[in-house]
Amino acid sequence: MSQSNENHDVFENLRLELRRGCLSLAVLSQLRTERYGYTLRKALAEQGLEIDEGTLYPLLRRLESQGLLTSVWREEEKRNKRFYRLSPEGKLMLKQLSSEWQKINASLNGIL
Amino acid sequence: MELLDRYLHAIEFWLPKRQRQDIIAELSEDLRSQIDEKENELGRKLNDAEVEAILKRCGSPLAVAERYLPPGHLIGPLWFPLYRFVLKVMLFGYVVPWLLVWIGFLIFDPAYRAANPRFAQIHNLWTLWLTVLYFFFFTTAAFAFIERSADAQARLLEDWNPRKLPPVRDPNRIPRFNSLFEIAAITVFNVWFVSLFWPRPVIDLYRAQITLAPVWQVFFAGFLVLAAANTAIAAANLFRPYWTPLRASFRLLSDGLGGALFCWLLKAQVLTGISTPSLSASKAAELTNLINLWMAKTLPWAIVCVVGIICSNGYRIVRLWRAHQAGTPIAPAVNDLSNPMVNGN
Repeated sequence: MSQSNENHDVFENLRLELRRGCLSLAVLSQLRTERYGYTLRKALAEQGLEIDEGTLYPLLRRLESQGLLTSVWREEEKRNKRFYRLSPEGKLMLKQLSSEWQKINASLNGIL
Repeated sequence: MELLDRYLHAIEFWLPKRQRQDIIAELSEDLRSQIDEKENELGRKLNDAEVEAILKRCGSPLAVAERYLPPGHLIGPLWFPLYRFVLKVMLFGYVVPWLLVWIGFLIFDPAYRAANPRFAQIHNLWTLWLTVLYFFFFTTAAFAFIERSADAQARLLEDWNPRKLPPVRDPNRIPRFNSLFEIAAITVFNVWFVSLFWPRPVIDLYRAQITLAPVWQVFFAGFLVLAAANTAIAAANLFRPYWTPLRASFRLLSDGLGGALFCWLLKAQVLTGISTPSLSASKAAELTNLINLWMAKTLPWAIVCVVGIICSNGYRIVRLWRAHQAGTPIAPAVNDLSNPMVNGN
């Protein structure tokens, strides 16, 4: 494997690690209003945060199992869709995580 | 939509039973939305190639299903280093010595070869394989059990004390006590060796008279020279208690020559006669043969020991050479040698 390929792989791994932590916060923030998976993906993509279905749906399930989201199946446009929104615990968590994010962001801005 | 159905069915196979329908329904809805959107954009139905492109971007069925599965491993990252260490001990403490001894017997012991024809050798290897397999199985099972034991996890993570951790040991440092002990041991051995085995036709050993083959003179001189060389190395180590590539190479040479000489001695049938007042001539001849035979029989074991010693010496040289290549200092600054923490006193 060439050095540039190796560097690219290292960059990809680090980039994914960096993104992974942010995705939960981004998803929680977008679910202040009720959405189903596909529209949630589109909303995130429009704001520059592309997320594939293989990452989003397992994440939504995990957040729901942690009590941060609630979901309901409902028919819309003749198709059954699962709608998610923040639970009361999720709202509190989003507040805490947002504040943590601000701190990290401020520190990193200072460091970088 | 046949391709989509086949894709979803393939994912469904790997999913946990209880969540299967739910996950597939949600994923199906997402993929159908993507297809609908694309069709609206193009103003026509998608062909198979276009559907295939959407599904390929989504990922292989196994990769998609894997993300929904709970993290599954027998031994997690916490216990894995210990697990690997136990397996390494098994490999280098049992399997490798076993194979070396076995190869040693095969090469150097015709009687062993005659007593164990080809089928028996295969059986011996099969026995080794089974032992390794059982060990691997039970070790893995034990670690998998520990992995799932909350008590063991807590003990490892919480019940520890920095004072109980082993002290840092510099592998290149030679404790001065070891060098002193080595010099004393070689001196005592030399006095005993010279006083008892000085080459002469018949050697008096306690109440027995031992006749050694003329080749004994070579062994005698060889062992004395090696003892002198080892004393010199130990003396140098005493004053400069850090291995250098030169001294490590001398030690490898002297240990290698000593090992070769010892192995040769075992095969050389150096004992030609024993006589004691209480032993008849025939019994003495029988005893002489028996001692020579048993010396020869220990040869494979001796070879294993010699190979082990040579490997250890070789590894020391490689380690020193690597440190040299990396520009790491082997010994601390000369002034630091007065520090008892460094000089080993």
